[in-house]
Amino acid sequence: MILEACEIAGAANLLFWNSPRQVAESKKGDRIVFLYIVVGIYYGSIAFCVIASLVRLIKFAVAPIHLRWEFYRTSSLYELSDWWARDHVRLVDKLKPVVLEILFLRDYYIRNRGLWYFLFPFHVGIYLLILWHIWYLVLPMIVNIRVDPFWGLMWGHVATVLASIGGLGILVKRMTDEDLRAYYPSIHYLKWVFILLTLFGGFYAVHCCLGASMPSIEEAEIGLYPPSSIVIHALLSSAWLIYLPFSHILRLFFRYYHHVRWDDVPNVRGSGLERKVKRLLDQPVRWSAPHIPHGRKWEDFSSEREQGTEGSRNT
Amino acid sequence: MKRKKIRVEDIGKGRNEQLLTITGEDVMPLPCAPENGDCQQPVRPLTEEQRSGYECSLDGVSAVGIPKPKSKEEEDRLVQRFLDGLRKLLSQKDNWTFWQQLVLALENCVRCQTCSEACPIYLSSGKQEIYRPTYRAEVLRRIIRKYMRKGGGVLAKVTGEDIELNWATIARLAELAYRCTMCRRCAQWCPLGSDNGLITRELRKLFSQEMGIAPREIHESGTVQQLKVGSSTGITPPALENIISFMEEEIEEKTGKKIKIPFDREGADILLLHNAGEFISWPESVEAFAILFDATDISWTLSSELVGYDAVNYGVWYDDVQLVRIATKHAQVAKELGVKRINVGECGHAHKALLVVADRILTGDLNIPRESALPLLEDLVCNGKIKLDPGRNDFPVTLHDPCNMVRLMGIVEPQRRILSRICPQFREMEPHGVDNYCCGGGSGFAIMSSMNFQDWKETVSGRMKLKQILEAFQDVIDPGIHKYVCAPCSNCKGQIRDLLNSRGAWENYGILYGGLVELMVNAMVDLEKPFIAWEWR
Repeated sequence: MILEACEIAGAANLLFWNSPRQVAESKKGDRIVFLYIVVGIYYGSIAFCVIASLVRLIKFAVAPIHLRWEFYRTSSLYELSDWWARDHVRLVDKLKPVVLEILFLRDYYIRNRGLWYFLFPFHVGIYLLILWHIWYLVLPMIVNIRVDPFWGLMWGHVATVLASIGGLGILVKRMTDEDLRAYYPSIHYLKWVFILLTLFGGFYAVHCCLGASMPSIEEAEIGLYPPSSIVIHALLSSAWLIYLPFSHILRLFFRYYHHVRWDDVPNVRGSGLERKVKRLLDQPVRWSAPHIPHGRKWEDFSSEREQGTEGSRNT
Repeated sequence: MKRKKIRVEDIGKGRNEQLLTITGEDVMPLPCAPENGDCQQPVRPLTEEQRSGYECSLDGVSAVGIPKPKSKEEEDRLVQRFLDGLRKLLSQKDNWTFWQQLVLALENCVRCQTCSEACPIYLSSGKQEIYRPTYRAEVLRRIIRKYMRKGGGVLAKVTGEDIELNWATIARLAELAYRCTMCRRCAQWCPLGSDNGLITRELRKLFSQEMGIAPREIHESGTVQQLKVGSSTGITPPALENIISFMEEEIEEKTGKKIKIPFDREGADILLLHNAGEFISWPESVEAFAILFDATDISWTLSSELVGYDAVNYGVWYDDVQLVRIATKHAQVAKELGVKRINVGECGHAHKALLVVADRILTGDLNIPRESALPLLEDLVCNGKIKLDPGRNDFPVTLHDPCNMVRLMGIVEPQRRILSRICPQFREMEPHGVDNYCCGGGSGFAIMSSMNFQDWKETVSGRMKLKQILEAFQDVIDPGIHKYVCAPCSNCKGQIRDLLNSRGAWENYGILYGGLVELMVNAMVDLEKPFIAWEWR
């Protein structure tokens, strides 16, 4: 699910370092225009990704608080008779299962081992690719380090191979397992094919163009000519960047940090939370069933004397 | 012969055809003697009259009792009302109560089907597609995509996720919302936190709050009756007084103790809220609480105020408005009595509703501390506040974990520590704790028995629990050995009673059921006679 993120940096930086300035030196005007378009698409997709992600994040961040609906993996404070006077779950305790889940996909390992065999290498590959991009392409921009090309190439390739094996396994399993086929939209199979193409493209772009003597950033800046494979890889990555805000990567974020699953934050008298609750109870109730009188607010239901006595079924 | 697999889009097809018929060959086998096995038709078909009057085209079962529309116009009107309700369900303003959880549950699913293997109904039914936890969620997703978004119709066809929204779809979906006990084991298992139990609840809410469709037992006879006469059981305050007098006499008869059960005692520390079903079906539970509290220095009271003597809040299963009405009423009763805290007795959903869900409903002086009875009971046992002799409970005991208390609240250990102290032959069911299986009576099923729904819940929704109980006692299955299923929840007790009864488990295997407090009182050293009467009830 995090594949999209890793592809960003690769194509971006290769294009960045092989800037149109260098291409201009090649005196190929049509190529310049084409590359400007590619660069435009690429950076445009980054901007789109950032803005669309922020819009979605803000939409959730400003959403009204909700009634509590948690569940628990183990004992909770409710086992204590004075639970309301105790400190509730600390952030660090909430984060522990999150980290385990992100790194090892623990729930899949326990509950769905068959899928985990492929999901795990896929995710490890993606994590390594993200780190690779940071190490090989981003860090040299910030600090003065020189990366050993051999290890850079090895790391990138191992990561890509792991992600590809995992991705291919998931695709095959999705297509052959009756349970996994259930309700899986056809278009998502194409997504996996596209993921694999992007991975293969990235592998090819790096391996064939940069070869075993992968250049440092400085070398790349000085004279590297942007080959078609990199352009294609950049365009594929742009597509991923545009898709990213609508993908599971944002859902993943909410999976762990949203105040839903393990929220466990009590409403204390006089707290900010209580003020929010009061504001929400002041909202009108606009549902239309017979037992809900028109024009009431939520708080009105707590003060009415003859309550909810109308029958329901009115079909 | 292998059946044709039911697809998501089938829900809107074949208006008068039944999507599924459950047979004895379909359902999961049980570890018991063949004479108690399932017949070919474990769920009795509805009568012709019922079939012609009520919607049952999902699986031949009617839980909700939805009358069939009389005309096409009426059908169209209902479809429109469904869409109106769906818009409200997806609106932050109209559905602030559960909007975040709903949207996340709808969006998070990656269709890995991990949840399917967690669902006792899906497994017990022999993996019938319509009972798959993701089936109803997927139906809802497709409807939203097609009918709530611009260009949804075209997109649905392009992506192969088409669905028809017609009366057949809606009627089947309404019934399908009552084929899930909302035990939320699927949500616990989901690696992405998608909560199919919540989707079930929100569907029920749409039907109730917008279309006025809800099972009679939960709405008219449930929340409406509770708010009107005081209890979903129909017990009125005067009737309650009589019942309590009877209980006091029974306590004296059983134990020789003269105990006055306190009522409306202002300024008491604890307002004890029982599920009023206990007053009628399991008075020994209320009596046991009274005996235990009388034996200590606990300052407590019951209430005779309307709603104040019935802890149930069925709103938590289907309707936010009813949930708010009842939760605030509970808090008002406690406030007027001036008690320090509310203590909820052996009722799982009342725990979840009042302690957790209502936490963001009750504000100001209505936000009174609310606690479970289990930690208090643990304190009595584990800190030696009552003298107990485990030898008096020297029979096999297993524990059922009510989903609402355990998985959905994290109250896992107090009941175990109590049983470990007072029941030498305590054994766990597998799985247990937060991984437990629902009794099959959750989310209102325990009180729903109209038409042939009783058959369905005994055959399908409670099957996994029955299997667990039988397996827990496999080494002592001889009917001459008395065995006890401890279920510290009123609704669970009702469902387990029906399950055991359907298999003649008392006669055939010597298995009885009951609550936790009965075992505690049974072990009290100052009682001359055993408190538990080994007879079926």
